[in-house]
Order: sequence, then C-alpha cells, then structure tokens
Amino acid sequence: MPSSSETHPTVVVDRVSRTFRVPSLERVRELGPLPRALARFGWRPTVKLEALKDVSFVAQSGESIGVIGVNGSGKSTLLRLIAGLDVPTRGSVTASSQPVLLGVNAALQPELSGLANARLGLLAMGFSPEAMEEAIAQVTTQANLGHAIHRPMKTYSSGMGSRLRFAIAAASQPEILLIDEALATGDETSRNRAEERMAQIREQAGTVFLVTHSGKTVEQTCTRAIWLHNGELVQDGPAGETATMYRWWAWNVANGKHEVAEGILRKEIAKGVAMAEAARADEE
Amino acid sequence: MTPRHDTTRATAAPRLRPIGRRPSLGTYLSDLWQRRHFIYADSRARAFSGNRDYILGNLWLIGKPILDGITYYIIFALILRIDRGMDNFVGFLLIGIFMFTFTTRATNSAVSAMISSRNLLQSFAFPRASIPLAVLTREAISMAPVLATMAFLILVLAPAKSPVEVTWTWLLFPLVFVLQTLFNTGVVLYCARLGAALPDLKFFIGFVTRIWFYGSGVMFPITRFVQDDFWVAVLQSNPMYLVLDITRDILLYDALPTARSWMILTAWAVLTPVMAFLYFWQGEESYAQQQ
Repeated sequence: MPSSSETHPTVVVDRVSRTFRVPSLERVRELGPLPRALARFGWRPTVKLEALKDVSFVAQSGESIGVIGVNGSGKSTLLRLIAGLDVPTRGSVTASSQPVLLGVNAALQPELSGLANARLGLLAMGFSPEAMEEAIAQVTTQANLGHAIHRPMKTYSSGMGSRLRFAIAAASQPEILLIDEALATGDETSRNRAEERMAQIREQAGTVFLVTHSGKTVEQTCTRAIWLHNGELVQDGPAGETATMYRWWAWNVANGKHEVAEGILRKEIAKGVAMAEAARADEE
Repeated sequence: MTPRHDTTRATAAPRLRPIGRRPSLGTYLSDLWQRRHFIYADSRARAFSGNRDYILGNLWLIGKPILDGITYYIIFALILRIDRGMDNFVGFLLIGIFMFTFTTRATNSAVSAMISSRNLLQSFAFPRASIPLAVLTREAISMAPVLATMAFLILVLAPAKSPVEVTWTWLLFPLVFVLQTLFNTGVVLYCARLGAALPDLKFFIGFVTRIWFYGSGVMFPITRFVQDDFWVAVLQSNPMYLVLDITRDILLYDALPTARSWMILTAWAVLTPVMAFLYFWQGEESYAQQQ
C-alpha cells in the first residue's frame, strides 16, 4: 500500500468520560451504624471513580501518539475505550477501522502453547484459517521465541509473553495499533524489532498509540504525546515538548517540590484549554 | 484493508464508525459467521484445558454419568423399588442420566464462561456470542463418546425378558439430538449473559438444574407421582422431559413418539435459541467491561 501524502483522521475521541463504581472503605466512617456493621461482614460500600473526564482529541494517520501519565491517571482506560473493549459513560469513540489492543496482562490461555494462543488470537480477530496460517509464520519470526513457542504460555517470562502478544497484534496488520507498556518489558533486541514494526504501521498510513509512564520512551518513539493526569487531559502536543514538561513535572514530584509541580500542571492545563478553544473557534 | 476514499469531499478520508458499540443484528450475525473458525478453535482449547488436571482426564466424561447411574440405581431401584412394573429400568435410567448430562454440563460451563474467558474478551474485539457458542460446541462434541457408551450399555445391560435391539427407529435419534442441541444453544446463551451480570449464579445454578433433573423424569416415570391432569400436562411440556421420553421410545421401546411430543419439542428448539440470542446480543457492550 503506498503511503498517502495527505493525512486523515483515524480515531476521534469526543468528550469521553468513564466513571466506575468501585468498592472502597474510604467513606465508611461517614456512614451510619448499619453500613459500618455490614462492612465488618465483608460488605463494601462503593464509591464513584472518574477514570476519564471529558477527554477529546483527534488522531491522524501516520501519527504515533504516546499517552503518558502516572499510574492511575486513566491511560489504560482510554486505550480500552479506543479498542472498543469498554464503553464510555458519556461521549463517543469513532475510528476508521477496528483498533487492535496489545495489553500487558492478557495471559490469553495459560494452558495452551504460545503457538496455539497465536492461532486463537488471530482467529478471534477474524482471520480465515488460510490467512491465519500465513500470519503465523510472521508471528514466529517477530516473536523470536525459538522452541519456547511450543511451550504452554504459563511458563513464559513476562518479556517473552509481551513479545508474543506484540507479534500477534503486529501480524494482524492493524491500521490502528494500541500498545500498553509492552515495550518496557522487552529486552534491547525485541524493543528494536517492535519499534521497526511500529514505524512500518505508521508508514502505511496507520496510527500507533503507546501507553507508558516513561517520558523517555515517548520522546524516542512517538511524534505526538497526550498527557493525562487524574483522568483529565493535561497537554496534547508534539512528543518532545510534552514529554519534557511531563518529565520536569515528574522530577519535581519525585523530589518533593509539590508546589512547583502543581504550578506546571495548572499552566499546562490552561495552555491546553486555550488551544482547544482556539481549535473550536477555528472550526466555526 | 484499503481505506475507502470519498472523492466528493475536499479531504479524502475513510468513513469513521463507532467503536465498542453493539452492531445491528444483521452485521452481528455476519460477524459471528465469520468467526466460526474461532468458535471451533476456542471449543477445542476448552476441551484441552477442561479435564487435564485429572489422572483419568476425559474418561470422566463417561465415568461421571456411570457413577451417577449406579447411585441412582441403588437408591431408586434397590432401596425405593421404583422399578416395580418396569421391564427395563436400567435402560430407562441410563438414557435419562446420559442425555441430561449434556444440558447440565452446558449450563454449568455457560454460567462461568464469560468470566473464565475474560483474558480473551479483554484482548480482542469479536462478537461475544462466540464464547457461549464455543461452550456449546465443546459440550456437543464431548457427547460423542457419552452417546456411544449409552448405546453400548443399553444393549448390553438389557434384561433377558425385554431385550433391546437396534431397530429402524434408532435412525430418528440424530433428530432428537439436534433438537436438544438447539434448545441447549438457547440455554447456554441465557446462562452466559446471566452469569456475566451475576457471577454468584454459579453456586445457584446447581439447584436449578437439580430441580429440573428431578422434574424431567430422569430416574422415575413422572406419572408415578403426579396424577393431576393439569400438572402432568405441564411436566410433559418440559423440553427435557420430551427429549428423554422421545429417546426412550425410539431406542428402548421400538416405538414412534407422538406427533404432539415432536411438535412441542421443536417449538422449544426453535424459540429458545432465537429469544436467547436477542437477549445475549442486547448485552453485547457489557461483557468485557471491568466493574
């Protein structure tokens, strides 16, 4: 497929919010005597958790977008919503084709061999048996697991597992590929191989999303970055700039300079809001 | 996949479609048909992981109904003497237990299917009905050795005074099995959605199937205990009662089941999967969600 010079939107995330109800003893003291007594017997009151708050952006073809933020900032929730594995509480996600998600903790079927898991995964994505057998050759090369590919997946190290999952996702030749921290667990050679594959997808007018908490990975492999904090979109801009601000903020947090960190967050959010308003004014 | 270009617009862009939303029924059905190879592969994977922790492995497919049969024979024939006046109680019991196994096993696996398949559901986007259908496929394939054993045992264990022979009515057996499979497809789809919404159902479903088991005349003729016409009619419209009754007619008694039996069972076998499929499809967006 020739790479087209003009870009087109591949994923549109429109004012997406996702709220979970999670069990928590956080507020148990504020409750009456009856709920407190019930809590002793294992009942858990639920609290609202706003994993994503009113997030909007448009991803273009040929972009590689890093989604950065600390643990619990809503990165993985965002990825699951784009993949269609979860449904937003408000807002909508549209895409030019079915995105393929590469998660970290999907052990698939632990009893089955890596090869059997690859077969099952490709068929699940809608491959015909013939196309699947062709893709399997690619999976084996890309995963580079040697004889281990015939062993049950439960015997794999986390690096081996993520290599196989990346190979499965890449072999399906998705237009939109979503990667959840998979590169962090691989060794040097497998990371290079994965990066090559990501570049290939972008050349074929696709879009790659990469979720990570490492600003460095984003700078090295992405063209654009989206910074999430507490479910809110802090900044959405060129990878270098955004990742640098993120690392500066993270450094301040790590060194206990919370006021400086707060200041950076506030400034970046204000900048993001101004840019969004400008974009909206442009449309009208 | 080549993106479709719309030349009438200034910016040529492929059409965007909603992600994660339930597709129309037609699209859903064609997606599901496209995943038929996945359904078969997943059912094979389930068969592989199902009994492999046990020394006798898949022999338990046959072992469990045989042990059940011995237990019920001791209780109902040797102790309670239910078999008085019945020529071939062993054959009656064997067909009851072996045929009912299919429905019990399918129900039990379906209730926990969506939870045990969470890894697959959270990794790949595919029509979720593939999972219950894989459960059904696996249980239907598992029935092959079970049915062969059943046929062997009723031929071998038949009492001398009422021997069982392979007659032309045996040819009707595949038809009963197809109707039971269709009915079970519906049961599996209902159980999968209910079990996904309420995982605790896993503990409750055993009581439901046991009451159903006793109400279907597995180890005694229903008319032995129920005489009221209305209740007899109700119990005899139970699809599982009909499956067992028809099977006994054609395998044990060399008799043609009544048209009424065939018609009621066919109605169950057609309506249940259709209703259950619509019910399952309506919950499509909920199955991969975290709580």
